[in-house]
Amino acid sequence: MGKKEKSNELFIEKEELTFQIEENRKRRKELIIANKELVLQNRERIKRAVEIVNSNKAVDVLEKRVKERTEDLESFSYSVSHDLRTPLRAINGYAKILEEDYGKVLDNEGKRLLGEVRSNAKKMGLLIDDLLTFSRLGRKEITKSLVDINKLVETVLIEMKQSTTHHAKIKFSYLLPAVADYNLMQQVFTNLLSNAIKYSSKNENPLIEIKSERKNGELIYSVSDNGVGFDMHYVDKLFGVFQRLHAEEEFSGTGVGLAIVKRIIRKHDGKVWAEGKEGQGATFYFSLADTAKKEK
Amino acid sequence: MENNTVEILLIEDNMNDAELTIRALRKGQINNHLIHLKNGVDALEFLFGTGKFEDRDSSHKPKLILLDLKMPKVDGLEVLKQIKANKLTKAIPVVILTSSKEHPDIERAYALGANSYIVKPVEFDEFTKAVTDLGFYWLLMNQHNV
Repeated sequence: MGKKEKSNELFIEKEELTFQIEENRKRRKELIIANKELVLQNRERIKRAVEIVNSNKAVDVLEKRVKERTEDLESFSYSVSHDLRTPLRAINGYAKILEEDYGKVLDNEGKRLLGEVRSNAKKMGLLIDDLLTFSRLGRKEITKSLVDINKLVETVLIEMKQSTTHHAKIKFSYLLPAVADYNLMQQVFTNLLSNAIKYSSKNENPLIEIKSERKNGELIYSVSDNGVGFDMHYVDKLFGVFQRLHAEEEFSGTGVGLAIVKRIIRKHDGKVWAEGKEGQGATFYFSLADTAKKEK
Repeated sequence: MENNTVEILLIEDNMNDAELTIRALRKGQINNHLIHLKNGVDALEFLFGTGKFEDRDSSHKPKLILLDLKMPKVDGLEVLKQIKANKLTKAIPVVILTSSKEHPDIERAYALGANSYIVKPVEFDEFTKAVTDLGFYWLLMNQHNV
């Protein structure tokens, strides 16, 4: 190899090395930038982790508070259950004794007045019971299973026949099954059906229909009657606690039945609504998640 | 009061409920000799012939105990526990007669050996019927453990 070729080779090698050194320098610069980025990202991640730990702690505190509130409610309900009923029983009892032992001294008006005392004490007892049911619902855990709604409705109707006499005709064909809490659903149908029966009881031919359908990924159930109905103007009040749209003298009731239904359906992430027309009856609807769409 | 021929022991702290219960029993023709004690301490002393009832012949046991749950000092469930834990008294039928419909109370009462659990109705007629029915059942119909 001649001197000139050697010199060329060396020159080329030198160029290559210079190039490589430049490339190295570039890489180093890039690595430094990348490292800086990583450090920043790490800092961010640490911040996020700390935030998560903090919000977990906050959740724990909230959970503890909820548990305490629930326990407060439990003991409150217990007091209501026991302590309020006792004087009520006394009012009722002594009014009755008065009636029995001093009835001869009382005229009809006196007896009527005593009767009012007793019936109001009884009413208050029912109110307390309903309030307790309502409050207990708020605290209850729901246990869901696949419920055969047909069988459930049949069971409810049999039980109702044993406790109340009515002449309503009840129609229903195949009702879709649903994933829900069996006992709570029983309560829902009991309340809706006893309302339907009550408010159509003044009808000559009371007719109640129960239907179900699949719509927009939901199961919609309805209970309709051909009874006294209600003024749609006040439809928003229907499901409120102690809200009634009819006078006590016409139809007895505490006004918690529908509030209980609403609470139960809400717990199932469903909705309740109603349609009615005065003198022409009413239909009550509620929705539940479609079982077909449930993935377990 | 002849403490040795008591057949019904009513343990109830509320005077009104006691009066209504006694009246209901009488109305139902249940005229057995009854003693009404207002708290668990007195009841236990009566049953075991101690304290205020030292001079009572404790071998004579009542045929039926009507027990309220919520009472001051010694709680109803504690009284129940002691009655059922003692050989001398555990065979006596104890009917819990209380305002509480709460499930934990019902469970605990039965777990401690209550023979029956009756929730006092608010409506007086129902209350009378409940007391007469249970009186009739436990005093006349039911065969006691000898």
